Amino acid sequence: MKSRMKKSQLLYLAPLLIILLIFSFYPIATSFAYSMFDYRTNNQQYNALRMSSELNGNLLAENADYIAYFLNDDYDYVDEEGQAIFDQVIAQAEDIAEKYKDLKVVSEEQKQELEAFFENSWADISAVYQRLPDNDLIRGEDLRDLYRSMPTVFIESNYVGLDHYKRLLKDSRFHGDLGNTLLFTAISVSLELVLGMGLALIMNMAMRGIGLIRTAALVPWAIPTAVSALMWQYLYDGRSGIVAHFFASIGLISSSEAMLSTASGAMAAAIIADVWKTTPYMALLLLAGLQVIDRGLYESAAVDGAGKIRTFFSITLPLMKSSILVALLFRTLDAFRVYDLIAVLTGGGPGGSTETLSIYSYKVMIEQSNYGYGSAIVVAMFVCVALIATLFIKILGTELLAEE
Amino acid sequence: MTNPNPVQSQLSPRVAEALKQTRHKKKYSRFFAYLVIALFVFVSIFPFIWVAATSFKPSNEIYNPSTAFKLITDQATSQHYREVWAKGLPKAIGNSFIVSTITTAYVIVVSTFSSYLVSRYRFKGKRFLMGIILGVSMFPQMIIVGPIYNMFYKLGILNSFWVSLAYASITLPTAVWIMVAHFNSIPLALEEAARIDGARPMQILWRIVFPLAAPGVFTTAIMTFIASWNEYLLTFTLNTDVNYHTVPVHISSLQTQFSILWGQITAATVIVIIPTLIIVLLFQKQIISGITQGAVKE
Repeated sequence: MKSRMKKSQLLYLAPLLIILLIFSFYPIATSFAYSMFDYRTNNQQYNALRMSSELNGNLLAENADYIAYFLNDDYDYVDEEGQAIFDQVIAQAEDIAEKYKDLKVVSEEQKQELEAFFENSWADISAVYQRLPDNDLIRGEDLRDLYRSMPTVFIESNYVGLDHYKRLLKDSRFHGDLGNTLLFTAISVSLELVLGMGLALIMNMAMRGIGLIRTAALVPWAIPTAVSALMWQYLYDGRSGIVAHFFASIGLISSSEAMLSTASGAMAAAIIADVWKTTPYMALLLLAGLQVIDRGLYESAAVDGAGKIRTFFSITLPLMKSSILVALLFRTLDAFRVYDLIAVLTGGGPGGSTETLSIYSYKVMIEQSNYGYGSAIVVAMFVCVALIATLFIKILGTELLAEE
Repeated sequence: MTNPNPVQSQLSPRVAEALKQTRHKKKYSRFFAYLVIALFVFVSIFPFIWVAATSFKPSNEIYNPSTAFKLITDQATSQHYREVWAKGLPKAIGNSFIVSTITTAYVIVVSTFSSYLVSRYRFKGKRFLMGIILGVSMFPQMIIVGPIYNMFYKLGILNSFWVSLAYASITLPTAVWIMVAHFNSIPLALEEAARIDGARPMQILWRIVFPLAAPGVFTTAIMTFIASWNEYLLTFTLNTDVNYHTVPVHISSLQTQFSILWGQITAATVIVIIPTLIIVLLFQKQIISGITQGAVKE
């Protein structure tokens, strides 16, 4: 009998929700936002998310000062009519600078007002300079240059909507990496499932030495992936690596250098390292599923004369359906987002042949500081993960989340 | 597994004969099983043995094709260990301990309270909450890296142990799932008795549920500790300063563009595997229940 929750007990849940909100949900939502902007942290014009165009108020004020400064230089050498115009422009420029000093986001109307001021004041000033070519005026060219650079006071909006996603559709590197990721995931997870199943069946036979087997199974799983990747990099090394040496001597690869320097060799290397590390994990998950199967069923099957293989396919597999699917779901999503292993083992090489989506997004986002496009790649991955998970949960039914 | 089967004593002779035959067959399959197990154990631990053997070889032996594939060296040396020790490995191990301990501490507190609530009370959106938490454990980690980097940058806490908080998204969901499974396995009767006796919810949690949940808390602690000990991506991006590198990041920085010093890498590997090895040897049972409880519905 469970009681209904009281309001005050929501407090128990608050820390979890707050932490997840700050460190999971907010970053995910933010990544979605980033992906819709041309957001690059290494470029002043793009280093923030701007929905509408903004005004660089400081630059505008500076430009207004320069207008006044230049006009004052030539003030004494123009006629009265010109001085009146200069006075007027200087006053206007001061007003404008004052008015827009603190304003960041400009509306279309305000932008038009500013542009009208630039145009009109330049027309007035240049008319004065053209009318009096013989006076010793020195600031004409400076003013022209200043007015030409005036549009830079506006920072355009870097909102690009779905453009990054359109670009993804045409990005051949993205397609290649998606292929690599799917290939890596499909092969390593299937190998892990088959080997893990075999191992689980054997571990379920309850024999002596099970403790040693469990330790042997847990250590590869428990060590940091970055460390195991380095270990394998050594074992695959063209000169000193014993595994590469072994594969070459049995003719699996042409020479021991081929393991990490050819496309297929490097992919195989990554898959083997992953299978080595996670098969035991898979086996333990499946073993837990195996252990809840009623032993009586096997004995009845034996009595009915069913062979081992028949028993496996008619009893074990159907009863383990949900454990297998849960293990597959976890492993598939894990393999799909693989980063550490490949980053350390091959760095995505040679020639991008082992570059997965995580590696690609890291390179674009962190190494090139292009958060916008990098986030679009990550969001695309997120969508893939959601699709895979939905597919599995559809097959699983709602068992996974069922209460009690 | 070996629960006594009351039916077995009353078996008919035909059935008994069939069982006997399967037992006979079992002998052969047992031999085969041992063979497979031996192969599995060999494949699992061979890389460690080889790496450990290499860590004592002098460099010239490692790079010379005629001596590189000999398991035991004649001129064992501790030179690589001394070099890698001087390169800041102790600092990295210390950082890993700090980061993993902080993470484990807050994850335990947060997950215990929320899991207790999930396990013991009815409330709207509970299934949705558990689904969301499961979802968090599945999304690609890369999706939080960019925004968290910016957040930490704005707060001025890049290159600090605050990175532990960012580990929440990789450790909290599993912890909550394990703890909920544990609380579900503790009978409600005790708490109800206490409630009838007038104990307040907080007292019930501390005095009755907590002691009973201790094994679950312990399992969660170990799983969280291992997960944070192994974390790479967040520290790699948020803590670029070597003074805050954890073991996985530090050790991967030993490979440089131009030369790979296998002697040092293998020596470092041996050193950093030791803590993991100890944890695995001591807490096998908890780890296995942690792995399966997070994933398998009983």
